[in-house]
Amino acid sequence: MNWFGFGFNGFGQITPQRKDEEQDIRLLSPVALDSLCTCAETETHKIVASWSRSVVIHTAGERRCVCLHGGESSVMVSESEGCEDALLTESCLTLSFTHTVQCWSLHRNGRALAWSGELSTAENTGTALPLPLVPGGYIASKPPFFQPLSRHLQAVSLALGTEHAVLLTASGTVYTWGHGSHGQLGHGTLVSEDEPRAVEALWGVPMKSVAAGGWHSACISAGGDLYVWGWNESGQIGLPSKGLREERQREQEMIEKDKLKGGKKEDEGTSDVFISIQAFPALVDVSEAAEINKVSCGSRHTAAITSTGDLYTWGWGLYGQLGHGSRCSSDEPKIVEFFSDGRMSVEDVICGLWNTFVSAVSRDQVAP
Amino acid sequence: MAHVWRDVMAVLPSSETESPLVFGEVVEPSVLAMLELCRKELYSSLNSSCIEKAQVILDYSWEKLNTGTWRDVDKEWRRVYSYGCLFKAVGTCHGETSQDKVQDAIKTCDLGLLMGASIMDNALQRLIVVLKNKVMVPSEVEDSEQPCPKKLRKEFILRPIINPALPVQRVRCPALESFRSEFLESEMPVILEGIIDHWPAFREHTWSIEYLRAVAGCRTVPVELGSRYTDEEWSQKLLTVNQFIDHYIMGQGEATTGYLAQHQLFDQVPELKEDIRIPDYCCLGEGDDDDITINAWFGPGGTISPLHQDPEQNFLAQVVGRKYIRLYRPEESENLYPHQFELLHNTSRVDVENPDVVQFPDFLNASYQECVLEPGDVLFIPKQHWHYVRSLELSFSVSFWWS
Repeated sequence: MNWFGFGFNGFGQITPQRKDEEQDIRLLSPVALDSLCTCAETETHKIVASWSRSVVIHTAGERRCVCLHGGESSVMVSESEGCEDALLTESCLTLSFTHTVQCWSLHRNGRALAWSGELSTAENTGTALPLPLVPGGYIASKPPFFQPLSRHLQAVSLALGTEHAVLLTASGTVYTWGHGSHGQLGHGTLVSEDEPRAVEALWGVPMKSVAAGGWHSACISAGGDLYVWGWNESGQIGLPSKGLREERQREQEMIEKDKLKGGKKEDEGTSDVFISIQAFPALVDVSEAAEINKVSCGSRHTAAITSTGDLYTWGWGLYGQLGHGSRCSSDEPKIVEFFSDGRMSVEDVICGLWNTFVSAVSRDQVAP
Repeated sequence: MAHVWRDVMAVLPSSETESPLVFGEVVEPSVLAMLELCRKELYSSLNSSCIEKAQVILDYSWEKLNTGTWRDVDKEWRRVYSYGCLFKAVGTCHGETSQDKVQDAIKTCDLGLLMGASIMDNALQRLIVVLKNKVMVPSEVEDSEQPCPKKLRKEFILRPIINPALPVQRVRCPALESFRSEFLESEMPVILEGIIDHWPAFREHTWSIEYLRAVAGCRTVPVELGSRYTDEEWSQKLLTVNQFIDHYIMGQGEATTGYLAQHQLFDQVPELKEDIRIPDYCCLGEGDDDDITINAWFGPGGTISPLHQDPEQNFLAQVVGRKYIRLYRPEESENLYPHQFELLHNTSRVDVENPDVVQFPDFLNASYQECVLEPGDVLFIPKQHWHYVRSLELSFSVSFWWS
């Protein structure tokens, strides 16, 4: 399995910056991450990212540890020895171990333990919860770090957006809470919620996974349908965005101006139903043929993998985070040709704020 | 244009070390590192990579400005945003500087003034002064760009019929004390005549389209699109004053109404502030001059401010054109059907000049006063008084909110 990254690389968090050359802070197409980690581990289990850093989690092999990249130089985090999972924000690295969780605050010249908590074994059901979930609650990136969650929710996974949270329960119900000004809670209003509230529009449709971006949210049904809601400022919902269309039109006009005479405006007469805020979950058609297996949200972009192993991305593209070889944003899902043309099947995708990390295998290696 | 870079750099301290980048704890070290790198490249004339990093700073702080409510955004992030604008604008002026680039740089500075916070002794404002001198003024200004009715956008403007029983009282230059006792303390609306005739805006700097283009044409301002802010399709857009005049005043095929409304233009363009004066009567309030909010309201005929109330006393000074205004006392609130939303609870749901009497039957029971404000008039709107405003032709008003 190979890992790739694309998008914002302003701190060398995807590929080390070369000191002598003008650094490219945008990677418009996927690059292999072979040389990112210099530690002895070869097996990468997962990658998580904040705005300026990325963390490679080696938990597949014998030894378990994480390596931190970007910000300062790349380092193997010695304190991470034996960890099970990791979570990263701009100011904090969270590590979970069998019996404890640690939050390390990240400074310019290193890190300091900001908080540490014992995991009560009484509540530990044996199956490890993925971060930020911990038995009895979840870990936020700011003090007091531990936030309790009602046991009745039976949370199985939790995604934290910039200022909202999306939770999935064992029965497949989606709960959201936090700031709602951009429709990111999916309750049909712009009102904030202090406590977890079930997304009623999804009732009766069991979900299998959830994701949260800067101001948007996504989930996948057990049947493989993708639902997205929240702010569509850059087309991250996958619905027509006025800003994007106008930008495209302006560019068109500039080109026509150069050619002296322009024809009619291209967009004239086309659909004028633009969505700026989608306050209820919307079913988004990614690919006609296939179901959706995985979804991840960046600050203002979205990435999804189909059951056929294709990666689709949409939303904000200025830093190359869509992987389409350009800086263009897109308000409709587009396949990332780097993988489909390269006969690769995409297995995992994790969005950083302005970048995207992907694992893929060669289709030739996959048994027919 | 060879001097642009030299003049632009003169706005900044001569060396990097003279302008320390100091921010509160909320600004993460990674952001500070990016700012420092960007500044270093600026001073090393690595302009393309400096612009790119400035854009990173802008994009990151923009996301912070959009996190939580505007009121709660930490001022440090607004300062970071301003630094991004400053570095980007300066970087843009390096090398061969075309008119388009200078215009881009001015726009970048304006975004910093609109959304950022003041930095480095008002560097953005100082940079604009330098850049504005580099903008070529078209030598052939079309001879009669004055609001001549033929060229202005044509709009069917309904003439209001003022009920002679309900006029707003008019007084010519009342003494401070009599204004206080007769109007301020009894919360009585009144039109003050003759108190702004001395403004340069009426005299040596008559506010004509031509003059506004010359003073502020290249400046970026927020424009409201759609006839009233309660409409579903209402939106805001950033345009230069020139673009606004071209599209929404001179009317080149725009279907929607554009309104440069409730914008603190006089803080953004100090030159225009020179053309107006704070009315003396504001000294009857408790605040300083700095506490007075001065807004510009510039638009074509047909703009509408729906019936609403404000928490402060208001002097609405009419400089260009005429406006129809309807006033309701605060006691009438229950007949005016305010919106339920918290955000719009100070706004009535009734379309004042075309009320839906089935949905809002009590509206007709509300008593009111009305008037047409002429150039040179100043309307005193006591705080919490409901007001509805419709422009009857090309109009420029200045409002002073004071307490």
